[in-house]
Amino acid sequence: MAIISAQGVEKTFRQPKRQSGLAGAIRSLFSRDYTEVRAVNGISFTIQPGEAVGYLGPNGAGKSTMIKMMTGILVPTAGTLSVLGREPHSNRITNAAEIGVVFGQRSQLWWDLPVRDSFDLNRHIYDIPTPRFAENLTRLTTMLDMGGYIDRPVRQLSLGQRMRAEIAMALLHDPKILFLDEPTIGLDVVAKDVVRKFLAEVNRERGTTIILTTHDLVDIEEICPRLIMVDDGKLLFDGELKHLRSALGSRRRLKLEFGTDPGPITLKTAHLVTDEGAAKHFLLDSEQTSILDVLTELGSGHDLKDVKLEEPDIEEVIRTFYKNKVQAGVAP
Amino acid sequence: MARLHVVIPALVHTFIRSKTEYPGAMVLGWLSQFAAYGSMYTAISLILARFGSLGGWVWPEIALLLSFHLLAYSLGASLSFVQFREMEEKVRIGTMDAILVKPVSTWTYIVFSGLNIGYAGHIVLALGLMAWSLTQVDVTWTGQSSLLFVCYLISAAMIIAAVMTMIGATALVWVKSNHLYQIFFGFWELARYPLNIFPLPLQLLMLTFAPLAFMAYVPVAATLGKPVPLLGDYASAAALLAGPLVTLIAMAHWRWCLRNYQGAGG
Repeated sequence: MAIISAQGVEKTFRQPKRQSGLAGAIRSLFSRDYTEVRAVNGISFTIQPGEAVGYLGPNGAGKSTMIKMMTGILVPTAGTLSVLGREPHSNRITNAAEIGVVFGQRSQLWWDLPVRDSFDLNRHIYDIPTPRFAENLTRLTTMLDMGGYIDRPVRQLSLGQRMRAEIAMALLHDPKILFLDEPTIGLDVVAKDVVRKFLAEVNRERGTTIILTTHDLVDIEEICPRLIMVDDGKLLFDGELKHLRSALGSRRRLKLEFGTDPGPITLKTAHLVTDEGAAKHFLLDSEQTSILDVLTELGSGHDLKDVKLEEPDIEEVIRTFYKNKVQAGVAP
Repeated sequence: MARLHVVIPALVHTFIRSKTEYPGAMVLGWLSQFAAYGSMYTAISLILARFGSLGGWVWPEIALLLSFHLLAYSLGASLSFVQFREMEEKVRIGTMDAILVKPVSTWTYIVFSGLNIGYAGHIVLALGLMAWSLTQVDVTWTGQSSLLFVCYLISAAMIIAAVMTMIGATALVWVKSNHLYQIFFGFWELARYPLNIFPLPLQLLMLTFAPLAFMAYVPVAATLGKPVPLLGDYASAAALLAGPLVTLIAMAHWRWCLRNYQGAGG
């Protein structure tokens, strides 16, 4: 049974229309027009227990809105949403006891107190039995290497240390689902690496379902086998990361290096994009085309020295996708 | 669901620990509030000493009114004012979201994670002035009248906490609502004085839409047996019911705002 199910979920915000200039601002005091912004537009998906899912999209795509609906903060305008078998907004408190939430840009720790005090408060709020709390605290402190600063006030911690503490706090009560909204934002390379490895381990070892929104594709590559990609509130892609390239029509690049320039080459299976004489760059026409297909078509009459197949990296795939959208006249 | 008898003390304990990180600022806050209210009350007493009475109320009666006003306000506001004044900021920067994902009532979390011990100075001054004024006014105290007086005080404190809750809750929908506190404190100032000195429309307003006459004047007048405009013999019952009634309205408003919370975007 799915741990999360979204069927045609929509969220519409009513926003005042801004009028330009001082006169417009004064006019808007007396008569205000509103516009409806559909932040989430008919999104459907299901997530099984133990999955790690990356929720990806540009700014304003509706990622945070979807997370807020799944955690019960916002009420969907339409559609049905079920988390752990319940409607999150109408069972917000019950739901909250079984989920953990980390906001990358909003701390849940008490700023002036040592990290341990925030953890201890959560022990009472989540009604965590003392032995389980002690065990989880020891395990998380060790895994996230927090021993050196757990008794220091939060205000004295670096961003990376704080984020590790936020994640540990969200896991103290053994939530069934961990929601993370941009958990690596602003972290340095080392801190990001620690957080990613830890989350992947929590998902793998403890079976905690992870839903993660991010701008950083490396987060998804290292933590989430499955990717849900949204834009303008709509679902663009839902599947395994490895299938994203073909789904978005991105093609692999093949470089053929010859001992001497073989002259112009035309192939049915690949499209020539750059000709440097002895080095020629092709785009493969389909995901099914293999190097063998190309080499078979090329034949043996050339002085072929080297063959190199380049998979477009995921960041490039998505960048190209959004660039094409802008060129087509649709703002991403 | 979280057990409130465990969660509330834990929240208060954590909040007090965070405040005692800056003990100097905390003590200075108490002293400054004590001095500010003390000097204001001294000024009022001096004016009364010059003119004898205000709307038929002499200084010990006014002192009881002022101390009741301050004590009811302190009790109600310690549960609400700073917490709900910060609501606008919580919504704007998104920390409200972090509260909404806790398995505890949002109102309980907000109120007790910010229980304002800064009102200690107010309470000490109010209790001192009240203790003196009660020995000076002409009231025959019985068990029933004492209990009634305490109930009046609780009802008045409920009005304060309820109105503050409503203003704070409005920020969940409007994002900005702190300007409403300025309106509140305008009526709050007026509530320090006998209602009968004000024109009829203002009296009517302070007994209905801005019911702050019930936070001090109506209960104290009922205690002293003074006539209350518009309410007459119903003053005592109205003073008792006003708090629970405004609280019910505030609860409905709070729930509606929470359900219509949109965040501030992002």
